[in-house]
Amino acid sequence: MIKTFKKVLVSLILGLVTICVFGEYRQVFAQSSHLFRTYKHEVPQKLPETPEAIAEGKKTYEKRCWYCHGIEGGGDGPASKTMFPKPRNFTRNEYKVRSTNFGSVPTDEDLFRIITSGIEGTAMPFWSTITETERWQVIYYIKTFNEQFKKESAPKVVSVGSVASTPESLKRGQELFKEMKCFECHGEDGRGNGPLTVALQTEWSMPYRARDLTKAWNFKGGNTIEDIYRTISTGFNETPMGSYLDKLSDEDRWHIAHFVKDLSNDMASDVVVKVKLFEGDQLPSEPLDENWNKATPVEIPIAGQIIAAPRHWMPSVDAIMIRALYNKDEIAFFVEWDDSTNKQEEIFRDAVALQFPTKIPESLKKPYFAMGDSSGAVNLWSWKAYWHEGFGQIVEAPEQEPGTVSELNAKGFKSVITQPTESQNITGKGIYQNGRWKVVFKRTLKTEDAKRDIQFEIGKLIPIAFAVWDGSNSDVSGQKSVSSWYYISLEKSVPKTVFVYVLIAVVMGASVELWFVARLRRFPPKFEEE
Amino acid sequence: MAYKRRKFLLIWVITAAICLFLFLKYVSPKVFQVLMAKGHPMPTPSTLMMWYMIMGVLAGLVYATTSNQKFADFLGFLLPDSGPKIKILLQKLLFVGFPVIVGWFVYTWSIPGAASPVELRIQHPTLPQEFEKLDNPFRQADAETQRKCIEEGKILFQTYCRPCHGSKADGNGPFANSFRLRPINFQDPGTIATVVDNYLFWRIKEGGPGLPTESTPWDSAMPSWKDDLKDDEIWKIIMGEYDTAGVMPRQREKLE
Repeated sequence: MIKTFKKVLVSLILGLVTICVFGEYRQVFAQSSHLFRTYKHEVPQKLPETPEAIAEGKKTYEKRCWYCHGIEGGGDGPASKTMFPKPRNFTRNEYKVRSTNFGSVPTDEDLFRIITSGIEGTAMPFWSTITETERWQVIYYIKTFNEQFKKESAPKVVSVGSVASTPESLKRGQELFKEMKCFECHGEDGRGNGPLTVALQTEWSMPYRARDLTKAWNFKGGNTIEDIYRTISTGFNETPMGSYLDKLSDEDRWHIAHFVKDLSNDMASDVVVKVKLFEGDQLPSEPLDENWNKATPVEIPIAGQIIAAPRHWMPSVDAIMIRALYNKDEIAFFVEWDDSTNKQEEIFRDAVALQFPTKIPESLKKPYFAMGDSSGAVNLWSWKAYWHEGFGQIVEAPEQEPGTVSELNAKGFKSVITQPTESQNITGKGIYQNGRWKVVFKRTLKTEDAKRDIQFEIGKLIPIAFAVWDGSNSDVSGQKSVSSWYYISLEKSVPKTVFVYVLIAVVMGASVELWFVARLRRFPPKFEEE
Repeated sequence: MAYKRRKFLLIWVITAAICLFLFLKYVSPKVFQVLMAKGHPMPTPSTLMMWYMIMGVLAGLVYATTSNQKFADFLGFLLPDSGPKIKILLQKLLFVGFPVIVGWFVYTWSIPGAASPVELRIQHPTLPQEFEKLDNPFRQADAETQRKCIEEGKILFQTYCRPCHGSKADGNGPFANSFRLRPINFQDPGTIATVVDNYLFWRIKEGGPGLPTESTPWDSAMPSWKDDLKDDEIWKIIMGEYDTAGVMPRQREKLE
């Protein structure tokens, strides 16, 4: 008897485990949100600053640092030509992340933190990979580039207190953001689009961009509340970001820091953009439509196009957010990205493009992600900001002008063809608002031109890729920010039959269980008495 | 040896299986994060999880059936008798829980979910014949020339390769996040340390578009540099690249 029980039990449990694991297996793969590194605050015990340490530091510097920072520390190393922001010039005191007063040099610990953590959004990598000794040595060598380090032996360190984040604090912070004219550079919504930003240049003709405060991942020197407070207090040397140590009380600086922290967001990225079934007659066709909130946003990191010459080493857009909805006839995409200005020129215009394969791939092979190839064509949906005639003019795209959409096909960079007028099926509209472009694309799920147009199918993984142009950054054609392939998936609605299945399963589960227990009671396992 | 009665054996086996599940799901990602010094948890792959769970449950059953007494105790838990209150509570819980769990799995299984994209990175396609024959002209040069080439190569690497592959050749350049198939970490001993100079020469020159078609899907974002870099520059980059990454190319076997 016991043997039968054993068999039944083993098969039952095995079945359960299999079901359990397959349920798990079907979970959608989500991209890790840990794309960006964090600023590390801990600093170990310092080494003595001896001539030997400096000499050792020189060796490390000339092995690892000089390619960007220059052999004499001038920030003009040979590799700096493919970089923006440019590497730090150590002969000047343009140190940004400091715990010291504005205009002072940073402490050794400040430098240690930066070297250990690197700076996100720039070419500066994290050097936690070299020993602490090497890091201290290289710091002592870097300090020799600037005399100021010798004069200020013990720079004053700004103290850090703390104020809790409350609704009142946020409100006060918002008022101060206005009062202190933070918005003049950082913009009203903090997107780095203030009126001064575009015009700002230092006397060395280096353009400085105000930080986009909504992108937490790009904050220099960390994005914790203490880091933001420190930046507001100490400012960034040799940039328009001054110190507010004397202009604001300690408490007020905390209020602003809380407000800035509240403005900032982490990048919520994913590999699959889920396209929800929209319940309503008409899909939203306006960028400002409230219904877009019903779609799940996915933010996608993008980088300069460096696949084919002319390569774009210094892109100004690093992320694009996408949402999508569909109904039984149509599909609509809503893309947003930050751009500090909507200034346009005849050639250099703000634009965005969505890229799909012309046919949903049946195998794992997709067309080449950079505009397809001879074996796989792509369908491009392009939107360009409105530009009015007037050669050489630089104008802002008027708000009431929706821009122009067009549909193209490509089989590689060199063979791009605009579709004939009768095959242009997409509609679209863009609007620039507070430092952010918002663009809607719309098309029917199926078209008559199945050869050139992507035909959307429910439940399939459809590759999608993105490109963004920033006219004010002289982006045009190949000079653009791009992504690799992502996917969209038109979600099926949950059929009512699912609940019937569940009910059947529960009943079956319960009856198997009852049968099992009943049998067990009838033939209880016997104990062999010793 | 007298057998010690364990009336809660069934519960212990179930608890062990749940603990195993929780370990695989929540603890192990953290453990591997620390062990592999990553900035993010390392989730257990679902197929691996399936096998571990099956093995775990089977081990529990094997244990429960090592003797007839043990197995009698194992099943005996389900029999009605005047046990402690906790036993009756657990019995009820099991009784209700089983159908509910079955129902839940059927539900999660049958609701339509988005499929996960399958993307594989298959390393090391075969080096084409025409690249096999080439030789790095600078590897045989005198020490002084080699040093110069490495330095020139490093400058080129830092200028053109760094945006993706990073200053340290660790695949963490500022553009790296944007390519789903991340740029390769050359410091990893399983990458460039396992191939010869020629292989890198082929990859740099032809890039992703030059990968053999029969081995798709290649989602590589590696550009083709044949139009923009001279052969000498590529050889130098390779030397600089190995030096930056701190690894050596594979040595060709010498035939006796």
